[in-house]
Amino acid sequence: MTARPSLPALPTFVTGAVRVFSLSLSEMLWSRRTVFLLLVTGAPVFLAVVARIVQSSGIVPLRVNGVAVDGASVFGMMIWVFFLRFIIPVLGVFYGTALMADEIEDRTITYLFTRPIRRGAVLVGKYLAYLVCTSLVVLPSVVLVYFLLVPFSQVARTFTSFAIDLGLLALGLAAYGALFALVGAALKRPLVSGLVFVFGWEQVALLVPGYFRRFTVAHYVQALVPHAMPSDGVASLLQSVLTDNPPALVCLLVLAGIVGVTLWLAVSAVESREYVLDQ
Amino acid sequence: MTKRTRLFLMASGGILVVGLGTGLVAAYVGGFQNLTLIGSSGPGELAYIPSDARVVAYANVREIIDSELHQKLKTLHQSRSDDGLARFEAETGVDVTRDVDYVVAVMGGAAGTPNQGPPLVLARGRFDEVRVEGLVRGKGGTVEDYKGQRLFTYKEADNQEAVPVAMTFLEPGLIAMGADSAVRGTIDVRTGAANATQNEELMRLVKDANDGGNAWVVARFDALASNGQVPSDMLARLPAINWVTITSHVNGGIRAAVRAETRDESAAKNLREVLQGMLALARLQTGQRAELTGIVNSIELGGEGKNVSLALSVPIEAIDLLAGLAAPRPAPDAPAAEPTPAP
Repeated sequence: MTARPSLPALPTFVTGAVRVFSLSLSEMLWSRRTVFLLLVTGAPVFLAVVARIVQSSGIVPLRVNGVAVDGASVFGMMIWVFFLRFIIPVLGVFYGTALMADEIEDRTITYLFTRPIRRGAVLVGKYLAYLVCTSLVVLPSVVLVYFLLVPFSQVARTFTSFAIDLGLLALGLAAYGALFALVGAALKRPLVSGLVFVFGWEQVALLVPGYFRRFTVAHYVQALVPHAMPSDGVASLLQSVLTDNPPALVCLLVLAGIVGVTLWLAVSAVESREYVLDQ
Repeated sequence: MTKRTRLFLMASGGILVVGLGTGLVAAYVGGFQNLTLIGSSGPGELAYIPSDARVVAYANVREIIDSELHQKLKTLHQSRSDDGLARFEAETGVDVTRDVDYVVAVMGGAAGTPNQGPPLVLARGRFDEVRVEGLVRGKGGTVEDYKGQRLFTYKEADNQEAVPVAMTFLEPGLIAMGADSAVRGTIDVRTGAANATQNEELMRLVKDANDGGNAWVVARFDALASNGQVPSDMLARLPAINWVTITSHVNGGIRAAVRAETRDESAAKNLREVLQGMLALARLQTGQRAELTGIVNSIELGGEGKNVSLALSVPIEAIDLLAGLAAPRPAPDAPAAEPTPAP
């Protein structure tokens, strides 16, 4: 009796996730969604180029209440207005909710789930691809905006803030992405729910006095920002003075907790949920 | 992974690496200014301040000196400011515009009273210790060892009432100067006495103030009021205030916020009403003066619970106008002498 050839060992969770990551990264980078990603991250770079050109012609590009705003402050303002309040949450929603939803919509989820890897590894691999894809578009955009706006003589003074900006934007992408990966894995219309969360719940909760803001991601991300809140008026200065920001360590722990817990819940949801494809 | 994906990753990663590398080198050459941890609870020098500090003030001298406002004021008052700074440099060997990064000033508590204790100033920057010591000795100062720390002390010989002053280098680039007892106090803190970071109430306010601007003051109101800096009439009418925080950001102009923390919510309500009345009066009185109307109209009253806050913004144009008003006016011509009637 001849021994049956032994079957190759099943890849581990990590190996499976890495394989899905490698496959998904190219797919994600060269998708139509990336055009949107390039547009939203290109807008601040374009504005920074315009500001630089205007500044080199001797005109102050931005004045607030008649006060000339220096390059470092304009950069801080752009981090707040463009990146933190718009780009990071929006990318989290669009990419995070689509991690599983796209496969369902394209009816390709069956092929992924019949591979000899755990379902959860598929989600984690795709999540890692999202993180690398968005980080490698958003962060270089921030670098370009920084060096276009901040004079080189101010780099020494502002570098720490700049490095913190890069770190917290990456952390924001990770937190929003993990949260919306859960939404995408668990809910039927994840994009709508995600947009309602970002542009409805978070906006309202941050303005309402009390504890509601603790149930937002923005509260913890914004508390880490090293720049003053943009001075849209004196009211915003008041807000920045009166806002009771949690300590940095608490913010970091909460954001890490959001990433860990929501990703674990998303993995559990993907592994237990039965996806029925529409006929 | 396709070739173009690899190319994209290399290009993006390259921008990141080059950007971070350039910034890192520039920051290293520039001495890593502002290297504070995210969400830091104020300057690190708070660890040298006694826990009973009643007034803590901070000014980022470097940012303020580099600000557009300072450049403007410098052109307006060139000779006057240069005279003062030159005299300070001659006496201490410290060029404020070049050597000092930031300053923390402190008033401790006077035991058993609400009064301010002796003043202490901590300055972070680049100091020539040998030159400073030479200057102190040259003026008749003495050097002694206090708890392992070299302490320079000086007292005016011909004035018995003069408070003895002292100075020491707590660490390279950090100078502590002020009243003798205050400087000895900071050395005590260095060697184990309780420091300001252990005062939770103070640190909460310092953190808020530090997040909001490049110059700020956190003070117990009774310490401010005890030295007659608040008129007694006004003091009698004000509700009970525990702490006052003044935060300002100096750049092209000045944005400032004053926040008072009262004993309870009803005191805060009363204070808001008092301030509302004062604001209305100020608006009434400045109605005819365009240069002041903008500033007064920018004042916003706010706050919730036990907090009362006032925020205002002074644009550089308003500072130009105010400087114009403050400039000495030419004396009116002497009246022409009465013509002597011809005989």
